[in-house]
Amino acid sequence: MSQSNRLAAGGLIDRASTIGFTFDGRRYAGHSGDTLASALLANGVKLVGRSFKYHRPRGVLTAGSEEPNALVELRSGARREPNAKATVAELYDGLEATSQNRWPSLAFDVMAVNQLAAPIFVAGFYYKTFMWPAKFWEKLYEPMIRRAAGLGRLSGEADPDSYEKITAHCDVLVIGSGPAGLAAALAAGRSGARVILAEEDFALGGRLNSDRRTIGDKASSAWAADAAAELESLPEVTVLRRTPVVGVYDDGVYAALERVSDHMREPAAHQPRQRLWRIVAKRTVLAAGALERPIPFGGNDTPGVMLASAVRTYLNRFGVAPGKRAVVYANNDDAAATIADLAAAGCEIAAVIDARGDAPALHAAARAAGASLIFGGAIARAYGGRSLKGCEIVDGRGRGFKVECDLIAVSAGWNPSIQLTTHLSARPVWDDRLAAFLPGARPVGMEVAGAAGGAYGLGEALAAGAKAGAEAAEACGFAAGAVDIPATDPEPGDTHGRGPWRSPVKRGKAFVDFQNDVTVSDVELAAREGFKSVEHLKRYTTLGMATDQGRTSNVLGLALMAEITGRSIPETGITAARAPFTPVAIGALGGAHRHKEFRPTRLPPSHFWAEEQGAAFTETGQWMRAAYFPRPGEKDWFETAVREVNTVRTAVGVYDASTLGKIDIQGADAGVFLDRVYINAFSSLAVGKARYGLMLREDGVAMDDGTTTRLGETHYYMTTTTANAGGVMRHLELCKQWLWPELDVHFSSVTDQWAQYAIAGPRSRDVVAALVDEGFDVSNEALPYMGAKELTVCGGVKARLFRLSFSGELAYELAVPARYGDAMIRAIIKAGEPFGICPYGAEALAIMRIEKGHAAGPELNGNTTAADLGMGKMLSKKKDFIGRTLSGREAFQDPERPSLVGFRPVDRSARLRSGAHFVPRGETPSAANDQGYMTSTAYSPSNGHWIGLGFLARGPERMGEIVRAYDPVRGGDIEVEVVSPVFVDPEGARLRA
Amino acid sequence: MPEPLVARSPLRAHVAPPASPAGEPGVVLREIPDLTLASVAALKGREAELTQAVSSAYGVDLPDGPKRVSSGAVSFVGVGPGKWLAASTVGTDFSGLPAAVADQSDGRAVFRLSGPKARETLATLVQIDLHPRAFQRGDAAVTHAASIAVTLWQVGDEPTYEIVMFRTYAATLWRWLVEAGRSRGIDARLGG
Repeated sequence: MSQSNRLAAGGLIDRASTIGFTFDGRRYAGHSGDTLASALLANGVKLVGRSFKYHRPRGVLTAGSEEPNALVELRSGARREPNAKATVAELYDGLEATSQNRWPSLAFDVMAVNQLAAPIFVAGFYYKTFMWPAKFWEKLYEPMIRRAAGLGRLSGEADPDSYEKITAHCDVLVIGSGPAGLAAALAAGRSGARVILAEEDFALGGRLNSDRRTIGDKASSAWAADAAAELESLPEVTVLRRTPVVGVYDDGVYAALERVSDHMREPAAHQPRQRLWRIVAKRTVLAAGALERPIPFGGNDTPGVMLASAVRTYLNRFGVAPGKRAVVYANNDDAAATIADLAAAGCEIAAVIDARGDAPALHAAARAAGASLIFGGAIARAYGGRSLKGCEIVDGRGRGFKVECDLIAVSAGWNPSIQLTTHLSARPVWDDRLAAFLPGARPVGMEVAGAAGGAYGLGEALAAGAKAGAEAAEACGFAAGAVDIPATDPEPGDTHGRGPWRSPVKRGKAFVDFQNDVTVSDVELAAREGFKSVEHLKRYTTLGMATDQGRTSNVLGLALMAEITGRSIPETGITAARAPFTPVAIGALGGAHRHKEFRPTRLPPSHFWAEEQGAAFTETGQWMRAAYFPRPGEKDWFETAVREVNTVRTAVGVYDASTLGKIDIQGADAGVFLDRVYINAFSSLAVGKARYGLMLREDGVAMDDGTTTRLGETHYYMTTTTANAGGVMRHLELCKQWLWPELDVHFSSVTDQWAQYAIAGPRSRDVVAALVDEGFDVSNEALPYMGAKELTVCGGVKARLFRLSFSGELAYELAVPARYGDAMIRAIIKAGEPFGICPYGAEALAIMRIEKGHAAGPELNGNTTAADLGMGKMLSKKKDFIGRTLSGREAFQDPERPSLVGFRPVDRSARLRSGAHFVPRGETPSAANDQGYMTSTAYSPSNGHWIGLGFLARGPERMGEIVRAYDPVRGGDIEVEVVSPVFVDPEGARLRA
Repeated sequence: MPEPLVARSPLRAHVAPPASPAGEPGVVLREIPDLTLASVAALKGREAELTQAVSSAYGVDLPDGPKRVSSGAVSFVGVGPGKWLAASTVGTDFSGLPAAVADQSDGRAVFRLSGPKARETLATLVQIDLHPRAFQRGDAAVTHAASIAVTLWQVGDEPTYEIVMFRTYAATLWRWLVEAGRSRGIDARLGG
């Protein structure tokens, strides 16, 4: 449990708190303030994972979310999370981490034999090799390859944690809390503007914590801590730690992922694991910093090879020496700080190699550290396998020698983190002086400050941040004073790293994209094979396509392709990023809305009563509807539904029809308006009467149907199908607001206002009569079929009573204000008991509407016209209406168009199936012989056999004809007889009784 | 003679669970029952007549825009051009107004959400800016809470919001508010 590589002092860790964790089952200790990577390095653990394709041993390359190598599985059981970056994972007591993509162990991985075959595992290998036989690809090759390659494992269990989504609005969003970000947030925050500072790390400060710099009289990390404290104290400033901004969207909308509980063993009570922020910002300052570039050389993935900036982060922020004897390989002056920091930490520096060949700035640093400085040299190869043992160096004159070391710090200049400037498809621009891509056009409202904008120097970054923050606040109407930026210590010199882009000596595999195992040779191969466009390079080699989004590899790959093909970098292409900036769990995108809460559940007024009755429910859109009400002894839904149908047809039943859409329509032009949206007339409807109406889409296809009742001269009450209620309301509003704004007509959705019960069956009038208050007459004369009345029930509750029937029986629909809906269903049942009433559900309703030949969803399916539905005669010739013109289309007039008829099996015991296609008897089933299809089928208790509705070419002319109902999907092929679609009471005597 | 019908809330504990906080509540959720609500739309050419009628009957100047104006027990909330939601705590009959009036007393349910964490709780569902610099007492909005259409307004500086939704969505919105409120110390009790 010794932290052998922990420095005696220094760093921003809490040495007083020692916490335990395990890696591959072994116990280690670290401190709070550590990442998993820093704690592993402190314990001398360098081998952290195996690579994706070649299973090569890998260590820690970086100290941030750009890490391509150190991916582990975190936690166990249902919380197991694959591909977590050890460089981001915050250490907590009891953290369990496991290495991935190795078997049986990290140190001995049998799949590492892939390395022996590496010469053939080049880019495009799979495409070229597993071509034949073609059918082996799916069955053999792909599963085999997938097993061999890959990263972590999913838990395979349901995620036990919760997630939350939240919206925040601000004047100024500052992304990143390095020197530029802190200065921007201070400038904007002090002005009183609403500021959100989002930082992906758990500590604010960025490089201020990683480097030993001085601001005024303070260490840079102390300045950062003071700035953080001040920001926390400002009431309108929100500081979000552990919160990467992951996406940029139109109108100043940003997505950010707060890792609320990732740094704990499990979330605290009621706390989400992660919170997805939707941030709406008037102005944004992107201060995301810059990432250091690696230099490819042979074996540059050996554990112990690290970015120089990461070396400094481990030394200065975490108090960890990532090695004891280091080689520094650089092409810029930034290495001076690395040399100084290594020396200050007591590390031996074996050699400093400056690839440029001229490095006065590194002289002093190397001399002070007692290191030999090699001008114009290169590392030819690093060696050591699972842990770096040394490297072969070639000096400027071509002489090679070996140097023993356990750490190579690589420094090749910086790539500004401009990904978020490109999410809305703006293109970055290449800057030759900096040898880097800088932001091109920015998203509206976004300014870039600090290293992300190419201002690498500390003083420059602070000033740029303060300026951007103040300007952003001023743009939002706040008076931002000048921010006093203290003087900083001298800058290190030229840190731009203009090349060379790789070691000139080729010896062994030199990796460009570590996570996807793409090497310099792969880039060369792509160029040779013609994949010279950067888009082709990416897809052919998979460079930059791993979960790190090529943070350390994209620009390098592009630069190498430019070098190989003799073009400039801008000629070769650019790299642009898409959201998300870092991986986002699907759970976070769903937030609290998952499982049953994925969408709202609407409960009709009788729901709680129906629950008490033991009803079975079915979901219809958002509605929960009673499907059937089983009684003891009934063995399945079918038996229950048949009993319910028989009760309605012989006595009386009640059904909750409240889910139908209901729209209150008022205004002087209400009648005219309805004439235009329905195919039939409503302005001529008498007050107190209801009429069935069909509306068409503009293209002449049936859209929705229902009954509309005229309650007063300028007052109508429309019902729609349950499924289309919202769509019809939208349609009406569109017609009013856009097509005919001159009409005086107003809509109000009253779907939820009324609990509406269908009371159906020969005894329904008895039940209704028992409920209405004295003085109201519900006789056939007073309330005939399609009549409507406003009255009161049960002692003064206002109600609407409609004489409507969907079942084909004598029937009513009784509507009361919804608060009485629960009491009303109980009262109906009680009043109906003497007449043998039973509740019926959606199943019985569906059977009865098929028996009655009423079109419903399967018939109003977006393909059928009024004529197809047998309602051609309803199309008014006296008025214009939506869909009229296109109803007259030639195709819609074709006499061969399938239209609605009924079917019954010739063998009465046979079952009918929806979806069967009609073929003439004696003909081969084929598209050419297809004459239509079955849309709805049911066992008809009233007929004692299966019945069906469907669309058949010239159907109404073919009554009595036998056709085949051909259903190859379910193996059905039976003969059916064409009959009227009305199977019960074709004269309609019952509903008028 | 059938028994008189009893009015009931759309909420029951098994679909709209109550919640009580460990300490001081950060947010308090209640249903406001028995409000009289009506959607009111100005008839074409009779807008001034309606304004006059509302003013003389209730002492309310009809708001132009997303605002709530109240006088005594009656309030009008602007919910669209020429459209208002009228509310009363004393059973006012709005049907006599010279306008297209539809009773919504049962079509909508109303919640009151208050407390120091009320705004943050709402922010998990509602995407508009409710910061006091953007939204204050008397301000109203027609928006959505996740996928549920709502109208809301602020009545107090605590802050206190009133949220109106279609009645059949009430149980779902209750659950979503309680879920969001759990980490913020929600006190949610049925029965007013």
